[in-house]
Amino acid sequence: MSEESIYGKYKDNLELILKNIVGRINDYTDEEYERSGIKLHEHMIARVKSEDSMREKCDRRGLAQTPDSALHELTDSIGIRIICSFIDDVYENVRLIKSFPNLEVVQEKDYIKHAKPNGYRSYHMIIKVQTPFEDVTGNNPGEYFAEIQLRTIAMDSWASLEHKMKYKKNINNSDLIVSELKRCADELAACDVSMQTIRNLILMDN
Amino acid sequence: MRLLLAEDEKDLSRALTAVLTHSGYETDAAFDGVEALEFLEKNDYDAIIMDIMMPRMDGIEALTKIRENGDYTPVLLLTAKAEVDDRVTGLDAGADDYLTKPFAIKELLARVKSMTRRNESYSSMKSLRVGSVTLNTEKQEVSSENSISLALKETKLLEFFMLNAEKELSTERIFDHVWKNDEESNRDVVWVYVSFLRSKLQAINADIDIAGEKDGSYTLRVL
Repeated sequence: MSEESIYGKYKDNLELILKNIVGRINDYTDEEYERSGIKLHEHMIARVKSEDSMREKCDRRGLAQTPDSALHELTDSIGIRIICSFIDDVYENVRLIKSFPNLEVVQEKDYIKHAKPNGYRSYHMIIKVQTPFEDVTGNNPGEYFAEIQLRTIAMDSWASLEHKMKYKKNINNSDLIVSELKRCADELAACDVSMQTIRNLILMDN
Repeated sequence: MRLLLAEDEKDLSRALTAVLTHSGYETDAAFDGVEALEFLEKNDYDAIIMDIMMPRMDGIEALTKIRENGDYTPVLLLTAKAEVDDRVTGLDAGADDYLTKPFAIKELLARVKSMTRRNESYSSMKSLRVGSVTLNTEKQEVSSENSISLALKETKLLEFFMLNAEKELSTERIFDHVWKNDEESNRDVVWVYVSFLRSKLQAINADIDIAGEKDGSYTLRVL
């Protein structure tokens, strides 16, 4: 007997909702590209959180492994990461996503303007979308959460490399490693800001 | 190069200004310590020549205030008497050199030259602060809420602005100061680097900005 999904009977809806959001992002991206030749994102990763990681996250948060925990208590069953070339593109994507009909922004964190102490930079949004499907609280049409992370290529490369280091926090030179990783983040941020400024200078001259 | 001369004897001031200008220094003349401080609020100088005995505010007091303001422009003191105590007080207050009256013009020029030359090598302090913004010149890093790295010329340019906060600096003056030994650059580079600094100040949520238009004068302002 196969184990029942932590997402219960809502599992298939998640894929459809994810596809819908990605579709809407691709629509405005294509429109902008037609209009100005600007690619608003470099690439995009979209996923429904795997069974295992969702169960593990419920455990970590002290929540029962139920559809209600996964879809109502936690908000990242649907996750999208948008990687942009320039900092301004990040904010343009944020603006366009906020203008979607049937979408409510539940939480926003601008770690680009307010970098985390370790140097992490990214823009995080938790959104709630109205869908034609029943949700876990019994509403039909129902609402589903999704998390969107937006950042530049440079921010993304720092985040993924830092993630791979998995250094132990208690080794002798951990302070040095932390401060050097932060320096790398600040240097990449410097490149981002410089590239953005160069693009603005070019646009201004044209 | 730009000099500030603070000397209350009108004839001597006029004569020195003429000689210094003739030697290629742009020279402003103040006639007492208060006026000298007023000049320093408006302009930046490569060196200051200052008499000790002056009305309203004497040279030692003016020098003490200059250093308290974090201004490390080299100062050459002119002392009327050859008193050891006078010279020691002057050097302790932050003077870089002194000259006893009467002096030979040749020696004055040589000392100004030596002082401004020396300044290039150790003028950079490790860290400067204006508003919420700290510039670490050694690490080439500027920080406020966030921190961000700077290129070498960005560091020099921001240092120049921070040492002269709230003063108007012309594109020409900035270019001569920051890119003086760089023959490959032209003045357009000033606007580009001001643009870089503006973006970086924004990126760290700084409470200072650089006002001014392309090819004009720029002022670092505390918001």
